[in-house]
Amino acid sequence: MPGIEHLLEALTPLNIMLALAGVIAGTVIGSLPGLTATMAVAVLVPITFTMAPASALILMGAIYTGAIYGGAYAAILLNTPGTPSAIATTFDGFPMAKRGDGDLAVTLACLASVAGGLVGAVFLLILAPPLASVALAFGPVEYFWLAVFGLTLISALSEGNLLKGLIGACFGLLLSCVGIAEISADVRFNFGSQTLLGGIETVTALIGLYCVPVLIDLVATPDKHLKVTHEPRGFRLREALRISWKGKFNLARSSVIGTLVGILPGAGGSIAGLVAYSEARRSSNRTEHFGHGEPEGVQATESANNATVGGGFIPTLVLGIPGTPPDAVILGALLIQGVRTGPNLFADEGSIVYTFIYGLFLATILMLPAGLVIGRYAYKTIVTVPKAMLVPTVAFMTMIGTFAIRNNVSDVVIMIVLGVIGWVLNRFGFSPSPIVLGLILGSIAEQGFVQAWTIGAATDDLAAMFFGRPISLAIIALILLALFYPLVRARWLGRRRKVNAD
Amino acid sequence: MPTDSDAKQRPRDVPGMLMAVVFIFVAAFALWDTTNMADSDSYVFPSAVAIAMIVFSIALIVWNLIYPSGSNGETMPGASTPRRVALVAAMLISTALMPYLGFLISGVAAFAAIMLIAMYDPWTRYRKIVYPLVCVGVVVGFYTMFAKVLLVPLPAGLLFE
Repeated sequence: MPGIEHLLEALTPLNIMLALAGVIAGTVIGSLPGLTATMAVAVLVPITFTMAPASALILMGAIYTGAIYGGAYAAILLNTPGTPSAIATTFDGFPMAKRGDGDLAVTLACLASVAGGLVGAVFLLILAPPLASVALAFGPVEYFWLAVFGLTLISALSEGNLLKGLIGACFGLLLSCVGIAEISADVRFNFGSQTLLGGIETVTALIGLYCVPVLIDLVATPDKHLKVTHEPRGFRLREALRISWKGKFNLARSSVIGTLVGILPGAGGSIAGLVAYSEARRSSNRTEHFGHGEPEGVQATESANNATVGGGFIPTLVLGIPGTPPDAVILGALLIQGVRTGPNLFADEGSIVYTFIYGLFLATILMLPAGLVIGRYAYKTIVTVPKAMLVPTVAFMTMIGTFAIRNNVSDVVIMIVLGVIGWVLNRFGFSPSPIVLGLILGSIAEQGFVQAWTIGAATDDLAAMFFGRPISLAIIALILLALFYPLVRARWLGRRRKVNAD
Repeated sequence: MPTDSDAKQRPRDVPGMLMAVVFIFVAAFALWDTTNMADSDSYVFPSAVAIAMIVFSIALIVWNLIYPSGSNGETMPGASTPRRVALVAAMLISTALMPYLGFLISGVAAFAAIMLIAMYDPWTRYRKIVYPLVCVGVVVGFYTMFAKVLLVPLPAGLLFE
């Protein structure tokens, strides 16, 4: 266990100031659709080159933490995930905002993000070396099953029509295949178009499928964007604290899920949020309220995605393998600083690492006041700005944000076209969420499947490859549980009701 | 499973069934495209997904024929379709003009057009003065942040090069 000297080193006025500035900058950048946490860290990395390594790490960790949380604002208030990590936040956050509880949702998201961030940092502080081995135990087949596990969430997202959800997910999976195949480098589904050669960017699709339909409907009527309650209700902190305390097990479980998913290289906050949401929905006794503005849904996703920050740093620092895309940028910055990551980092450069971890705690705690104030301001702005100002501002943000992803005008066109497709599909009862889920999990599922298939075929034992590894079997068990638990539970409750009636 | 009396009460989800037919065509088209791929690593996954999509779409149609479940699509009575079309057109046209006019001018044009499309309130003198100023301020503000601070190479426009 590291000593108190590292804690004191993290608490210097400079580090406190850097952590606060990082959290604020990250939150603002993360709240803009199209600007992801990776971009926030990448853009601000050059500032850190002249700093001491520990201070530089604290600033980057704070930007990252803030950006992941900032994604919740646009998700809750505009139905557009500011960052991919906030996809699942839209499921319940936006319905909460629509019914007039946007302020409560933003405060809940802040509390959950702080809780998740702290749990992730605790794991990083205490269990980093043993947990890093989990990342190494995950092979292609485990990633494949993890993606399949994520796809089981379709039943939760299809809002009463599983078949439409499955069709939407297949459509998303096909969209994920557009462009150059990751393994064989074949060009697929571009139909001769240079525009589609680079594939469809997840963030482009997210903005299109979630935000453009909202804009299309916003201009169609003179009604207010969100329900407005005229009496001022402040942060609604007491109410949010009461709900958070009631959902403490949900917060704890989602934070642990977020940390563990964050450890897996390449999985990221979006999968963490989706898996945590799925588990929260499965284990809740308010299952039917999920997707219609259930605070537990917001808690689950926001705690999980912020827990990936600490979780992602585990393989980054211990193994030199970035757990999430922003970790890859931070890893590069660390190498420039002359810090060599690896199993001996905690022993050789303990001063830097532990000061950074305590700095992460500091940034996460500072996110509470900073996040509440910025969140309140964001909410007030969205509900008070006239529609004739709000719609063009959001539309312009989607265009400039999408362009900035790959500096490509074609991405903006793809975003608008996908938005129109998403709007039309919504009219026909096809929700955009399964499509997005398919799009995100498609490449992970395909890569895992093809690699596992190739290894299995080469070793002449496909069955053992897919069904013979302990972690795979554990994930398969979770898949079966996620699929059949609602059925078993309904039968069990029915039987119990019958016994009580007798 | 819906009972017979439920099925009699609800109409068939015809729009959903029509969309399922569209998805069958999309999947068939994708399947056809996979025949051009040489490497099995390239076509195994998409063709499996396309086949699954066809199966689910047929299942949706058959299920609706046997057990009509009504449409779960979103409807907005009294909504203005011309404004919706105009919004999408404004976004697409300004994006198409971006390489020629540059991001700044096409951005101001898009903002102004969408502002007019989304305007339901009367144009008072205050709004006539403030809204155009906000339009230019927001676009220039974001342009400066992205182009100068975040160093995103926003198109300058062929006409101004």
